[in-house]
Amino acid sequence: MKIITCYKIVPEEQDIVVKDDRTLSFDRAEWKIGQYDLNAVEAGMKLAEATGGSASALSIGGKELENSKLKKGILSRGPKELFIIADDYLREADTFQTASALAAAIKKMGSFDLILCGEGSSDLYAQQVGPQLGQLLGVTTLNAVSKIIPEGNKLVVERTLEDEVEVLEVTLPAVISVTTDINLPRIPGMKDILAAGKKPVTQWCLADIGTENIDCPTRSISTLAPDQTERKQIILEGEEAVQKLYDAVFK
Amino acid sequence: MGIFQTVFVYADKTEMLAELCAGGKQLGSQVCALVLGPKEEVDKAFSYGADSVYHLGELKDRRIEDYTETIIHLVQKEKPELILIRSSKRAKLIAGRLAAELKTSVLTDVMEFTVDNNELHTKRLVYGGAGLKREYSTSEVVVATVGGGVFEALIEDNSRKGNIVEVDFVQPAHPVRCIEIRKKESESVNLSAAKCVVGVGRGFAKQEDLTLAKDLANLIGAEVGCSRPIAEGENWLPKERYIGVSGAMVKPDVYVAIGISGQIQHMVGANSAKTIVAINKDKAAPIFKQADYGIVGDLYTVLPALIEKIKVSK
Ligand SMILES: Cc1cc2nc3c(=O)[nH]c(=O)nc-3n(C[C@H](O)[C@H](O)[C@H](O)COP(=O)(O)OP(=O)(O)OC[C@H]3O[C@@H](n4cnc5c(N)ncnc54)[C@H](O)[C@@H]3O)c2cc1C
Repeated sequence: MKIITCYKIVPEEQDIVVKDDRTLSFDRAEWKIGQYDLNAVEAGMKLAEATGGSASALSIGGKELENSKLKKGILSRGPKELFIIADDYLREADTFQTASALAAAIKKMGSFDLILCGEGSSDLYAQQVGPQLGQLLGVTTLNAVSKIIPEGNKLVVERTLEDEVEVLEVTLPAVISVTTDINLPRIPGMKDILAAGKKPVTQWCLADIGTENIDCPTRSISTLAPDQTERKQIILEGEEAVQKLYDAVFK
Repeated sequence: MGIFQTVFVYADKTEMLAELCAGGKQLGSQVCALVLGPKEEVDKAFSYGADSVYHLGELKDRRIEDYTETIIHLVQKEKPELILIRSSKRAKLIAGRLAAELKTSVLTDVMEFTVDNNELHTKRLVYGGAGLKREYSTSEVVVATVGGGVFEALIEDNSRKGNIVEVDFVQPAHPVRCIEIRKKESESVNLSAAKCVVGVGRGFAKQEDLTLAKDLANLIGAEVGCSRPIAEGENWLPKERYIGVSGAMVKPDVYVAIGISGQIQHMVGANSAKTIVAINKDKAAPIFKQADYGIVGDLYTVLPALIEKIKVSK
C-alpha cells in the first residue's frame, strides 16, 4: 500500500504573545509540526508496517518548511521520504489553496493508495483540507476516522461522529482525515533522528507543480485576541479561604 | 442586513435547521432549506422559516454523505449566493467536498456574521482560542459552517407553507458501504445551558476522585464539565463534557475550575461565565489571572472543606 501523509508546519501556540493593541505577535513562536498531523503520520506508519507498504510525507507552506530540524522531525517519525513545496506565497494559504497545491503535488508524485491528513491543523483548525483534497483528486473521501484496519485491498474504518460510530468499508484510493484518538504518536529515538538525516527530501516550487496562480478566495481582515472579561482576581489563602469563598460565591 | 438574494441552509439533522433558517432570513431575502427525510421534516423546515424546500429524498438505506453529489449538482444549478451549513462532522465533509467543486474555501465554525460595506464578514476562533479571525470570502457562492447559538431560532409557525422542489438523486461517484452503526451512549448534557458548572482538570489524580467534584456539583446544582485531557486521553468523562475552543462553550453564573491550569484553549470556553472560581495548588497557575476568586491550595483538602461548609450552612 502506497501511503502519503500530509502535514502542516504551525507556530507554537504557547508562545503567541498578545500585544497591547490586541494583535498577536509570533516573534517568539517557534515553528513545529501540527500536533494533530502527528496522529496522521503515525497512522500511516502503522498501516505501512501492517501491509508491507510504504509511507511518505508531504507538506506545502512557507519557507519555514525548509528548516532542517523540522524536516528531520517528520522523517524521524518513520516516513521513508519527504516532499515539500515551500513558498512564502503559501504561508497564508486558505484551505482551498492548500488542498489545490497538495492535489497538484500528489499528482506529480505519481500513484497512491491512501492519503492521510490530520483532523485539522493545530493553528487554524478549519478541518477542511482533507475533504477538499479528496474531492479535488476525485477519490473516496472521509473525515473523523478513529480506526483503520487493512483488509485485502480495502480498509475497514471506524468514523466517530457526534453521537454514533460508523463502521465503513472503504475501497482505495482514498483520502482520510484521522482523529487524535486513533493512536499515540511515537517519540523518535536518537537512532531515528540520525536515520532521518539520510532520507531523501524532494523540494518543488509552485511552478514545478503548475500552481503559481491559484486564487485565494478567502480574505483575512484581522486576527485579534478575543475580548477578555475583566476578572476580580481575588486570591484567598490560609485558614479562612474556604469561609471567604463561601461567603462571596455560595452563600 | 440581508445582502444576499438566495440563501441555502442545510443541517444533517433537521431539528438543527431552525437557527440556520433564522440566520438565512437575516442575511438574505429567500431562504431555501435542503431537507433529507420524510414529509414531516419538510413541514418542519417551513415552520422554522424556510421560504422553499429542496427535498433531497428520504434517506432510507443510504448514508447522508451519499447525497453530496446531489447537493453539489443542485448548488451548481441554482447558484445560491450563500450556503449556511450546521457545523457537524458529516456536514463539514459535505461542505468541503462542495467547496472544492465550487473552487472555494469554507468559512468554518463561524461565531458571528456582520455586514460591512456590502460584504459578509465572519469571525471565528483560531490558534486554539488565542485569536479571533475576521475574514470574508470573495467567491460567487459563499459556504459557511455555523455552530449552535449563533442565530436565534424564530418561533415555530406550523401554518407556514411554501414551494417544494423534489431533487433527483445523483449517484455517488465513490460509494462507501456501511457495515455497522453503533450509537454512542452519550448522555445528552447541555453544558451551554447550565447555570452553574464545576470543571475538573488534571489536578485530579484518579477517576474515583471525581466523586468529590460530583458531590460539590450536586450540592450547588451544577453540571460537571472538564478540561480536554480528562475527556480525551484519560477518558474519565464523556467528550460532551469538555469545555473549550474545541469543546463546549459555557456561560453559567458560576464556573468553578478545580485542578485546571487555565490554558487559553480551555478558558475561551468559560470566558462568558459571570463569576469564575479557581482552586489550584500552584500559585503561579494562569487560571488565577482569569478568575474572580481563587483559592491556592490542594483540591484534596479544599474541596472536602468547601463541601462541608456548604452542607452545614444549608
Ligand atoms: C488546538 C488545541 C485545542 C485545544 N482545545 C482544548 C479545549 O477545547 N479544551 C481544553 O480544556 N483544552 C484544550 N486543549 C488543551 C489545553 O492546551 C491544555 O492542555 C488543557 O486545557 C490542560 O488541561 P488541565 O488544565 O486539566 O491540565 P494541566 O494543564 O496539566 O493542569 C493541571 C493543573 O492542576 C493543578 N493541580 C495538580 N494537582 C493539584 C491538586 N492536588 N490540587 C489542586 N490543583 C492541582 C496544577 O497546578 C495544574 O495547574 C487544546 C489544545 C490545543 C493545542
